[in-house]
Amino acid sequence: MIPTHYFLILSAILFSIGVCGVLTRRNGITIFMSIELMVNAVNLTFLAYARQNHSLHGLVFVFFIMAIAAAEAAVGLAIFISLHRHRETIDVDEANLMHW
Amino acid sequence: MFELIIFFFFAVVTIVFALMVILHRNPVVGALSLVASFFALAVMYILLEAPFMAALQVIVYAGAIMVLFLFVIMLLNLQHQAEPPTRPVQQFLGFFLSIAFCLTLLFYIVKAGTIAALPSTPFVSDARAIGYALFEKYIFPFEMVSILLLAAIVGAIVLSQRGVSLDRRPD
Amino acid sequence: MAFDLTDIILTFVKIGIILGVMLNVTPIMVIIERRASALIQDRMGPNRVGPGGLMQPFADALKFVLKEDVIPAKAHKALYTLAPMFGLIPALTTIAVVPWGRPFIIPEMTMFGRRLFEGGRLFEPIVADVNIGLLLIFALASLSVYGITTAGWASNSKYSLFGGIRASAQMISYELALTLSAVGVLMAAGSLRLTDVVARQTGHFLLFDTIQIPAWNFIPMFLGFVIFTVSAFAETNRLPFDFPEAEAELVAGYHTEYSSMKFAMFFMSEYMAMMTMSALIVTLFFGGWDIPWYNEPATFPGFLLSALAFLAKVGFMMFVFVWVRWTIPRLKYDELMRIGWKVFLPLAVVNVVVVALLIAMGWV
Repeated sequence: MIPTHYFLILSAILFSIGVCGVLTRRNGITIFMSIELMVNAVNLTFLAYARQNHSLHGLVFVFFIMAIAAAEAAVGLAIFISLHRHRETIDVDEANLMHW
Repeated sequence: MFELIIFFFFAVVTIVFALMVILHRNPVVGALSLVASFFALAVMYILLEAPFMAALQVIVYAGAIMVLFLFVIMLLNLQHQAEPPTRPVQQFLGFFLSIAFCLTLLFYIVKAGTIAALPSTPFVSDARAIGYALFEKYIFPFEMVSILLLAAIVGAIVLSQRGVSLDRRPD
Repeated sequence: MAFDLTDIILTFVKIGIILGVMLNVTPIMVIIERRASALIQDRMGPNRVGPGGLMQPFADALKFVLKEDVIPAKAHKALYTLAPMFGLIPALTTIAVVPWGRPFIIPEMTMFGRRLFEGGRLFEPIVADVNIGLLLIFALASLSVYGITTAGWASNSKYSLFGGIRASAQMISYELALTLSAVGVLMAAGSLRLTDVVARQTGHFLLFDTIQIPAWNFIPMFLGFVIFTVSAFAETNRLPFDFPEAEAELVAGYHTEYSSMKFAMFFMSEYMAMMTMSALIVTLFFGGWDIPWYNEPATFPGFLLSALAFLAKVGFMMFVFVWVRWTIPRLKYDELMRIGWKVFLPLAVVNVVVVALLIAMGWV
């Protein structure tokens, strides 16, 4: 049996790697992938506690998080396609005007 | 003992591929590393006695969402655009803050130590139990999520259309 | 989870058998495909190399090994080399959860007067009998998209990229119909384990209270069977869905730029995926290792008979794959996508409703 705080440590490291990716990269798709990494770190935390407390609620919550992350990925990538079509770039620093 | 070896091996694999996502220049290599990272995370979920969630992780994340990412990267031909390097100030602050955040979290987790003893009975987490929970207790969020997915599909289609002109007469 | 040395040795034996069969599928299918296509097209196939052309696979293998291995100049070298291996992984791992014989009690074996093996242990001919067998198959099958997409992109060529993108779009569209049509089987079996699915099919239906029909799943769930088989064709990129491979019939789609051993690996992974899909169709809809009208005993001869029955059914299913390939013309790409989303997905939902009705009425 692996103690729960091992999984929490892994989750913390993954979350901070995701935070680092969001803060330091300029490519929009890479930022989006770092956000997915953060969501997965949170999933891992939920499952670690679900096993600790033998509660099904953690599992169901992770189920819903996965479904919502899928919806978010679809809409986010559609936004990126739109941005690329108008501006020919997905550098997020270039998308700094509300309306041109 | 055996489980600890598996845990450490796949934890290292997850972290290494996650680092490759944020550090590599090419977004396609980043997306494929994220797939590998998700796969290693699915092994973690199996270690956490949630095999249904592990299979779902591979089906939904590694098998569908990342394919979507790869599609967009390849169709928009993004790998040929050289991403301009981030300003050094932003890079330094980003790395410093995230490492500080990580160390703070790790300090408090290690200080808390072992939370409690794990229960000795097996965890009933198979598809049947989750199915019962979803359709009995969580039926309302279930239906709401399905409507949300429909909204996401319609939104994605509308957003990625090429400027359909609004005053097109039906003829 | 107490397992001892004997369990580990038995698992390695099972893995050895499965790997042996999977790795030998390609040479056998090469010669069968070429002779069967010749039969269908009213001509002689390859019959020069060896008696009746049976050594043709060796000639092909030798050709693949001896050809020059070309890597395009601007290709992404690491991904270009890794892409064929991505294709092999789902094909080889999915077969681990398929049961291929009847579980039997190993008898006590003695050799030279010394007791070699104490009897009484149950040998289950399935490498990994997990609680979520069916879900694992879908999980690993959805990873087969990556080999093709990476190959198409890493070749740095327009035709390869379009072939790769079209192949992945086709594969993820038909995965939905595949998964939904297997839900009918899941509902009838009441469990995700494939051994339970096969166990449900070992009984018999009583027609008019006298005639016994084997309770194989393709009889009550015929619509699900048809949808699953057609989606299996789409998943393995076989005709009539092999548009991504034969794009414009001028260049070979996503494996245009590949030569010698890397191309041979794509070839192998396609045949292995075909074998895995055939094994799945047989397990889900044709009763797996069940011999109709015969109750196999739980002994070693019973196991052998059931394993041979499984192989015969899988072999027939693979012949059907080859047969359809040389009979039906290729679908156009927009037709393919339209059928996947607008025809098969609603039909699969209809199948779920019909099977639910059948179960509620107690007929399944």
